[in-house]
Amino acid sequence: MADFESSVSARNRRRFWLVGFVAVMALAIVYAAPLFLDRYLVNVLIRALFLAVLAITVDLVWGFSGVLTFGQSAFFGIGAYACALLATHYGFGPLWFFGAFLIGLALAAVTAWLVGILSFYHGASPLYSSIITLALPIVLVQIIFAGGRFTGSSSGISGFPTYYWAVETWFVIAGTLLVAVACFAWLFVRSDLGRILIAIRENEDRCAYLGIPVSRIKIALFTVCGAIGAAAGFGYAAFTNVVAPELGGFLLGTESLIWVALGGRGTLIGPIFGAIGIDVTSSYLSGSLPFLWKFIVGVLFVIVIVVLPNGFASLVTGAWKKFGPGRRSPASGHEHGSGSIVLRTAPAGTREVTGDQSPIAIEGLGCRYGSLSVLADLSFQGRSGELLSIVGPNGAGKTTLMRCISNGQERTAGTVEIAGQEIARRSPERVVGLGVGRSFQNTSLFDSLTVGDCLRLSRYRVDGARLFRRTSHVSLPAPALGILKATGLDRHLDQETRYLSHGQKRGLELAMVLATEPKVLLLDEPTAGLTKAERTAIGEVLLSLTTTYGLCVILIEHDLDFVREISDRIVVLHQGRMVLDGSVEEVVSSDLVKSVYSGHGTEVAS
Amino acid sequence: MPLLLDIVTTSAILFIVAAGLMIILGVMKLINFAHGAFLTVGGYSAYLVTDYGFSPWLTVPFAALVGFVLGIAVERLVVRPLYSRPLDAILATWGLGIVITQIIVFAFGRGVQFAESPMSGTLEVFATNYSAWRLVLVLVAVLLGLGLTALLYLTRFGLNARAVIMNEDLARGLGIDSTKVRITTFGLGAALACTAGALITPLLSVDPNMGLPWLVNSFMLVLVSGVAIPGLALASLLLGGAQVLVSTFVSPILGGITIVVFAAILLRIRPKGLFGG
Repeated sequence: MADFESSVSARNRRRFWLVGFVAVMALAIVYAAPLFLDRYLVNVLIRALFLAVLAITVDLVWGFSGVLTFGQSAFFGIGAYACALLATHYGFGPLWFFGAFLIGLALAAVTAWLVGILSFYHGASPLYSSIITLALPIVLVQIIFAGGRFTGSSSGISGFPTYYWAVETWFVIAGTLLVAVACFAWLFVRSDLGRILIAIRENEDRCAYLGIPVSRIKIALFTVCGAIGAAAGFGYAAFTNVVAPELGGFLLGTESLIWVALGGRGTLIGPIFGAIGIDVTSSYLSGSLPFLWKFIVGVLFVIVIVVLPNGFASLVTGAWKKFGPGRRSPASGHEHGSGSIVLRTAPAGTREVTGDQSPIAIEGLGCRYGSLSVLADLSFQGRSGELLSIVGPNGAGKTTLMRCISNGQERTAGTVEIAGQEIARRSPERVVGLGVGRSFQNTSLFDSLTVGDCLRLSRYRVDGARLFRRTSHVSLPAPALGILKATGLDRHLDQETRYLSHGQKRGLELAMVLATEPKVLLLDEPTAGLTKAERTAIGEVLLSLTTTYGLCVILIEHDLDFVREISDRIVVLHQGRMVLDGSVEEVVSSDLVKSVYSGHGTEVAS
Repeated sequence: MPLLLDIVTTSAILFIVAAGLMIILGVMKLINFAHGAFLTVGGYSAYLVTDYGFSPWLTVPFAALVGFVLGIAVERLVVRPLYSRPLDAILATWGLGIVITQIIVFAFGRGVQFAESPMSGTLEVFATNYSAWRLVLVLVAVLLGLGLTALLYLTRFGLNARAVIMNEDLARGLGIDSTKVRITTFGLGAALACTAGALITPLLSVDPNMGLPWLVNSFMLVLVSGVAIPGLALASLLLGGAQVLVSTFVSPILGGITIVVFAAILLRIRPKGLFGG
């Protein structure tokens, strides 16, 4: 154990050193640069540095979490106007200045938080958040227009009192802000929580069913990014001494998307160079070739989106991978060398089996879509250590039943109790918290994450995630470890999941669901597409889950031989109703079941 | 009474402007952010026609032709590789909008131009004098709605398009050339956008950014409509009406954001829009 601990902290320490080293180098450049550059360029660069900070927040929200935001400029505008308005109308001095800064940050954070609450809820389409972020800057600009003399309306405010420091000082301020934000963002995206962001981008629904509070994480990220954007806007306004509605407008919002896309989304460094490069070049060309430059940027943007979705940074990292020294490339996030994750056994019994209460009790459950009734009046209970199979022809409502158990918003009638607690209208991530684990019919995983990453993120509910660090061990409950051993996955922890075989993916998925420590395990056709040998292995695993660990397993399965071998009890569904609930013998010998399956009747009876 | 006419004509204009965006979203599941630029192209087409001394009535067919050709070219060059990346398609078409706008700036400068109106003056309706062209647009909107419905439900193309909307893979399996359906749809959508641009220019001036404010409103309307023709009519009437009322009784500035704000709220309550399942 001591070995693991030291290797963990050694790795984190190495990373902090690396980031610290880069930060010091970057700061040295920031301090030295004004000495070598001409005055005009320094002026231009200061503005570009503030805009680059904005670009980082766009990259975090869009590039890393996949939320296409048109509205990051609104927070920039809020910060800028906080600076201008307080200095113009209320007062100026060190305290006022700092106060205005805090007010701008707070206002932007609150706005972002409200926008986040509005746009990130379970089941929201990714388009909806884009719509809201599109509406935000438009509304903000109209509010500024409506402010009349107070906000300067469409012409903005200029000449308000600010600190007329030397440009070198401003350059250092802007540069330091950029370096600080960039370094923290760098540590953040490489941390445990950063991995979770990527997982959310790749498969948001799956994250929710692993108990990860997707909406809360997005809202928090959006709030922090809003505040950072406001800080950049505040600096921009204090330096330029001019604010105009355009600073909070929709066009700046889309422009920031262009910087990020051209530089390379999800790379941090790409967007920084994208913002600085484009903004500086436009300053030089706006005199001589203003329209041509905008035209070129537009053309480049279209080409990059169509043929080079990861921006120019992907050219650099691609070349690095091909020709660079060694196989580790620092810029592209493939840092996890071999053996970076160690498995451990989680302390058992973090979730006590609660006495004689049945882990799951369903009463009068129904589900309708309009006039179509998919499930009606379903009542049954599951006991600890029981393997309950649900069979029925296609369209009987089996998968809908799974949905109704694992998501409180699905059913239209009845109650579902997990260990005595009503699931009420809870969203999937909170139902997981009650003790329901669900595996899906299709093996939906996170393609670009490794096996180890997947396992770690499925422990988020229990163990949380570090904000700036990467833990290099993951504690799993014994049954999950057992599956990993049985499938040989424990030797492939650094493999990206897309390279796994179908059987291994099934195994990993099951291990991930078990990692959330469920009391009730819902499995939707776990053996579909598996070989006979793999099927037998899964059967043994399921048996051990019920007999050794006392889980209640509810299984949907088409393979009736398999069902008969391992089930303790069988529930038969037909056209949304329960037609039978009994032991294997009762079901197998039932004439009713034969008639339900009609053509397949003999198969059941044989 | 003028208020009622304002509401009806504003809604009609919104319907006309949003129709092209909706056709493309409906069939191709693609949000065309170049829609605003297409409107601008339509406006400049109208300007060209009247500037060369042709009859202002020719502006509409000419704009439609320009739009169709432009749409086909754009589909082939930009949109086709992006069908599997819907959010990227928004960005690429937005970039395309920037490019088109800049080309217009090269050709015509940044200044404001005016196109001649096919009909000027006012008509007397319900004992008030009202802009004749705005009333004509109401008729156009009704015909457009009926025409599009007929196209979707009475023609072979409509049948194919509906098949692609419902289940593209299956439609392809049945031998429907979905590539052709898409390219035609995009051409049609662009043609509708340009026509709309030509139709609204008599009411406004023509400038390189004239399409931009319409883009956001159309986008909101289409989403609120649930991507259906009667839905779009209802959404235009509801939100257009709200816009007129807020502009008249509260403030014109707030009127400008009425549609956006209402749409954001409506979509939170009914994520699939008024006529969405």
